[in-house]
Amino acid sequence: MVKAPTTRIMRTTRPARVPGPGGADGLPPGLPVAGHRPLRASARRAATFAAPLIALVVVWAGVKSLFGLSDDVLVSPAATARSAAELVRLGILPAYVSASLWRITLGAVLATVIGVPIGLALGVTRYGARMFEPFLRFFQAISGIAWLPLAVVWFGFTNTTIQVVILYTAMVPIVFNTLIGVQLIPDIYKQSIQTMGGGRLRLIRDVYFPGALPSIVVGLRLGIGYGWRALIAGEILTGLPGVGTLIFEARKFHQIDQILAGMVVIGVLYLIVDRMVLAPVERLTVQRWGVVRA
Amino acid sequence: MARLGLRLLPVVPFLGLLVVWVVGWAVARPTLATFPSVSQVVQTLGDLIESGELGRNIAASMGRWGIALVTATITGVGLGLLAGLSGVIAKILEPLAIFFTAMSGIIWLPLAIVWFGLGTTMIVFVIWNAMFFVIFSNTLLGVRSVPGLWEDAIRTLGGNRRQVVSQVVLPGAFPHVLAGMRAGLGFGWRALLAAEIIGATAGLGAMIFNATDFLRSDIILAGNLVIGTIGLIIDLAILVPIERRTIERWGMVSVTRRRM
Repeated sequence: MVKAPTTRIMRTTRPARVPGPGGADGLPPGLPVAGHRPLRASARRAATFAAPLIALVVVWAGVKSLFGLSDDVLVSPAATARSAAELVRLGILPAYVSASLWRITLGAVLATVIGVPIGLALGVTRYGARMFEPFLRFFQAISGIAWLPLAVVWFGFTNTTIQVVILYTAMVPIVFNTLIGVQLIPDIYKQSIQTMGGGRLRLIRDVYFPGALPSIVVGLRLGIGYGWRALIAGEILTGLPGVGTLIFEARKFHQIDQILAGMVVIGVLYLIVDRMVLAPVERLTVQRWGVVRA
Repeated sequence: MARLGLRLLPVVPFLGLLVVWVVGWAVARPTLATFPSVSQVVQTLGDLIESGELGRNIAASMGRWGIALVTATITGVGLGLLAGLSGVIAKILEPLAIFFTAMSGIIWLPLAIVWFGLGTTMIVFVIWNAMFFVIFSNTLLGVRSVPGLWEDAIRTLGGNRRQVVSQVVLPGAFPHVLAGMRAGLGFGWRALLAAEIIGATAGLGAMIFNATDFLRSDIILAGNLVIGTIGLIIDLAILVPIERRTIERWGMVSVTRRRM
């Protein structure tokens, strides 16, 4: 039976396998993740993953030469790689990438630090979810990008604008999913802590937080996904140094090779952030504590 | 009476926000460039509706979004099913799907502008891009996660390949397909706004961005309210009923459902 991902807090001594929230962030699982795995298996998985991508590059080169596409439409993989190398040599790419990464990290960290407690607080109240769900859905629908114009009016074309929009964009899914996560916890765990004389603090530490953690991670993933796109949009709009600006400015001078190089970098960056950072967080916490997504 | 109270509960945060807004504005008295008052927004909303401007922009935005949605669903689900049914193709396409999903949407904006110029085609392409990869990835996942047992069951009853596909694979993959569509709708909506804000032709995004030039925060806020409401309506009025009539009727639990 295809079941919904429910949270079961189990007492288990062996690490449970977390299938991953396929679909929640739009990304299916299946990419090799950082972590403790036998070297040969992960090498093999990496190769299996890389092969189609290499094939794609070949197809890319083939399309370019076969159809004789001009450099205004598509550039060959070689030219793209050359462009990327040039950008690195000039120091532009590292600077822009680090600027963008800085923004998204700051936004994600702040959003988590502020959003998770709010979500917990809303979730533990009796009708919290019921009351705030449509409210949060509404603001999720507006999406950070729609606030960009207002942020520009307030803060001008500055870094603050981008940062604020990222913070908002990331915070809504985090709060929402934390709230849902708490609501999913079966009452019996709260009751068992209470029968043993546990107070509010212990409840939060031993029941609510670990129990809601899978959902929190889903929320964090979503938040970073949305926040990343808001980051790109914000950079394009304000023109401040960043990967978004890189590809947008290159458009003005019809430097397709730079655009493509930038796009690939962005895609790879996002994959790295999602798989190499978030997945291990998931494993180290959710798996270790035995909270399984059935 | 308690029943009524329960149903009205979701309204409370909105009312709270409204109160904060009214009181805050009365106390701080910000300029129109900073933040509008409730009455200003309401009035602007009325003006926009009356002049037909709101209607035109909504139509432009929804039109683009609708075209992209239909195209993305057909291509995404179709290709996803085809890919999923053949194990070999699925293995080849899966990494590509993951990579392109990471790169989807407004990241294609500059390239799309180079290819299609500014305008509707470009915007539709960007939205399609954002939606397609998400829907495709999830459909692929959905097809592959249908338990082999179900296919075996149909075969033991004498079913042929066509019946396996229509009676097992399609319904079995549906929860994931729907989850993908839900995610796709969200990403598509965002891509629409971003493309319109940056591409600046007619549409809701363009409307609120043009207001920036004139420092008209009331237009921006009115636009945002409309955007949020439309998004909410789409989510509640389209997805949830579909979910209810298909997945829950068939006895499966959707991927996005949760206990209250």
